[in-house]
Amino acid sequence: MNGFLEYVPGDSLLHRLNPVTKIVFAVLFAITCFCTSNIFFLCGMLICGIIMAASCQMLRPVLGLMKAVLAFSVILAVLLLLTSPSGDVLVELPWGYIGTGSIMAAVTTIVRLEAAAIPLFLTFYVTKMTDLSNSVVKVLHVPYKYAFTFASTVHFIPVFMNDMKSIMEAQTARGVEFDQGGIVNKIRLMVPLCVPLLVSSVRKTNSAAIAAEVRGFNLRTRESGYKQYPFSAVDLVVMLIAVALLVAVILVP
Amino acid sequence: MIEFRDVHASYDADIKVLDGVSFQIQDGEFVAFVGTNGAGKSTTMRLMNGLLKPDAGVVLIDGVPTTQLKTSQIARQVGFLFQNPDSQICSNTVREELLFGFKALGEVGPDAEARVDGVIKEFGFDPDDDPFLLNRGTRQLLALASIVVLAPPVVILDEPTTGLDYKECVKVMDIIRRLHEAGTTIVMVCHDMEVVGDFAKRVVVMSQGGVVDDGPTFDVLRNPQTLTRASLIPPQIVDISLALPLVDERLATSPLAFANTTDEMQAAIAQEVC
Amino acid sequence: MIQIDDLTFRYRESEHPVVEGITLDIPDGCFVGITGAAGSGKSTLTYAMNGIIPHCYPGDFYGSVTIDGMDTCDVSLTDISQVVGSVCQDIDSQIVTSIVEDEVLYGLENFGVPHDQIEERVTEALQSMGIEDLRHRVIASLSGGQKQKIAIASVLALHPKVLMLDEPTAELDPASSRAVFQLLSRYAWEHGTTVVVVEQKIALLSEFADMLVIVDGGTIRFADEPRAVLAHSEELLKLGVNCPRSTTLMNRLAGVGLYEGPVCCDVQEATSALMEVIA
Repeated sequence: MNGFLEYVPGDSLLHRLNPVTKIVFAVLFAITCFCTSNIFFLCGMLICGIIMAASCQMLRPVLGLMKAVLAFSVILAVLLLLTSPSGDVLVELPWGYIGTGSIMAAVTTIVRLEAAAIPLFLTFYVTKMTDLSNSVVKVLHVPYKYAFTFASTVHFIPVFMNDMKSIMEAQTARGVEFDQGGIVNKIRLMVPLCVPLLVSSVRKTNSAAIAAEVRGFNLRTRESGYKQYPFSAVDLVVMLIAVALLVAVILVP
Repeated sequence: MIEFRDVHASYDADIKVLDGVSFQIQDGEFVAFVGTNGAGKSTTMRLMNGLLKPDAGVVLIDGVPTTQLKTSQIARQVGFLFQNPDSQICSNTVREELLFGFKALGEVGPDAEARVDGVIKEFGFDPDDDPFLLNRGTRQLLALASIVVLAPPVVILDEPTTGLDYKECVKVMDIIRRLHEAGTTIVMVCHDMEVVGDFAKRVVVMSQGGVVDDGPTFDVLRNPQTLTRASLIPPQIVDISLALPLVDERLATSPLAFANTTDEMQAAIAQEVC
Repeated sequence: MIQIDDLTFRYRESEHPVVEGITLDIPDGCFVGITGAAGSGKSTLTYAMNGIIPHCYPGDFYGSVTIDGMDTCDVSLTDISQVVGSVCQDIDSQIVTSIVEDEVLYGLENFGVPHDQIEERVTEALQSMGIEDLRHRVIASLSGGQKQKIAIASVLALHPKVLMLDEPTAELDPASSRAVFQLLSRYAWEHGTTVVVVEQKIALLSEFADMLVIVDGGTIRFADEPRAVLAHSEELLKLGVNCPRSTTLMNRLAGVGLYEGPVCCDVQEATSALMEVIA
């Protein structure tokens, strides 16, 4: 069982890479996706991402997250479709038209967002949050406070989701029907539940802050981390691939 | 009546929690489910009010499988007190909180108002209090009251006394006893064996997703095999009563070896000494 | 180890002091159990002993709390934390990492324990809680009892002189609760650590603590060895503290003149005392 963006132990090549390599690769990969509008290239990137997910048995969770990204990118795509008239006219609109170019732009957006997102998600699934924050502090000199804030936020997502689940269950047990009616009904029913969720999250974050402080949070420096994160030849190769991809899309029109 | 027929259940399709559980609970019973953390007790409770559906087997409420009932229909039959009252309370005043269930079921009206007023009086609440400013014990009582107000024929309690001090615990258990005496079926998960011994009439022992023992409270709590198998620690008086004949065989037939409560034990000792 | 002198504390948002005129001396290496009804001020009392008061909650603080020679008002919370290790009530919010080993490492790294000692400290802390086999597991997949042991191990690794726990067994079944107390008391005995634990389960405190502190209405009613405190079972009941049943039984027998020995704190003591009564 694993929650949203939670580390899944494993021993694949991706698991073993240096955390810094993974995050840098993922970021460069995403930037690359945004630097090109070549649909064939983007599809290639998407397939690469899926292969990477498969290589560390993360296909299932990644596909789940892809669905979420799809929902989001479809909204964007529809907006694009309606507002970027280009190519041969297909449908006339009062303020313009939908053309073959608009469809192309919409599809490109969907593929681009999906392709860019996969390695980022994957990084969280194959890297312990602690390793990620410790290594960016050590190697990239990110201030520890920021790294810790980010790590805690991600760490608390499943905790809050769990809280929300038990709050909803408690209401269901009293006859509230979350499963009936449409999304509007569901949201209407969920609004009053935000109060108990807020109360419990404020309490939790507060005690988490105190707990971290009594365990010496304020003393932590860049040298504190015990584990070392050496770079291997493989890391170098992976980094080079990422840079090469980026350079390629920038140079090749 | 609630019936489990060879129920299997799991979370997220891969983690098996229940592995073939069967039992029946008749109307008006007071049953305690005991066992270690992770034995499957909470899962059993969630199956009982339809929050979870079985992978295999059936859970029947008055003969109808939970899979054929809407959660709101089950809510009318089975009240559920969660371990943490904070996940349940969501209104701004005590009165609104007590009315919440009626609103959810679409039964607001003079009858509901009258029930709410009755419960406020019975529990001694201030109807205008803000639930979030009450202390833990009172919030637990409010959560219990908001179930009681709907008068479901069955009430399930998931560790009703956890986190409460002794006085609060007595208060909560007193209300539960009165509910039971008024004919409500009580099913409770409880770790406090003294509470189980004091209140439950029947005990179901769970271990690793299965039922290992089921019977009248003290028959179960006095069974050494059950205690070992499910890592249970019996109520202290039972513990003493079980230990005495082990120290001195001649006590095996004395009333000491059968005393379950402090009163019984005291009487047995007085008799033994005289 | 801890001296509390005439401590009174009022939270900024409340009208009345939560603890008032508390004086308590906790000797080195003592296993102290604190209990009392809800709202009696027992948690506030522990906050005063690990520096969370006055450092995290604003309010009026009178009197003094001295830990290992430091006045808690004069030093920072971080300084106090080097002496007092605290395990919070809500374990889920205490845990900052996803893997058991990293959780134990966290405090060690922060407090700058030399890197050549770290491995030994981690192993030792995990062993003392009996969870060496969980070292590489994902914390989210473990049970409440296991998580509690991890939270304790991660604090023990820091070698605190005082270990402070707020209701460590609230979420645990009786067998795991007892296991936690056994491990704690063995560790404290081996290392000479002072342990302060707030707990509702009086039976566990009676069995394991050297000193039992009963808090009521913000003041200390009793602070003595369990035997001496439990002798007042009637009075304790009025304060909302229930004695273990074995104690109640023997106190009752003493009341009717059937038993004359010392107060019994657990089942074993009561059983052997009863054998004498019957003989």
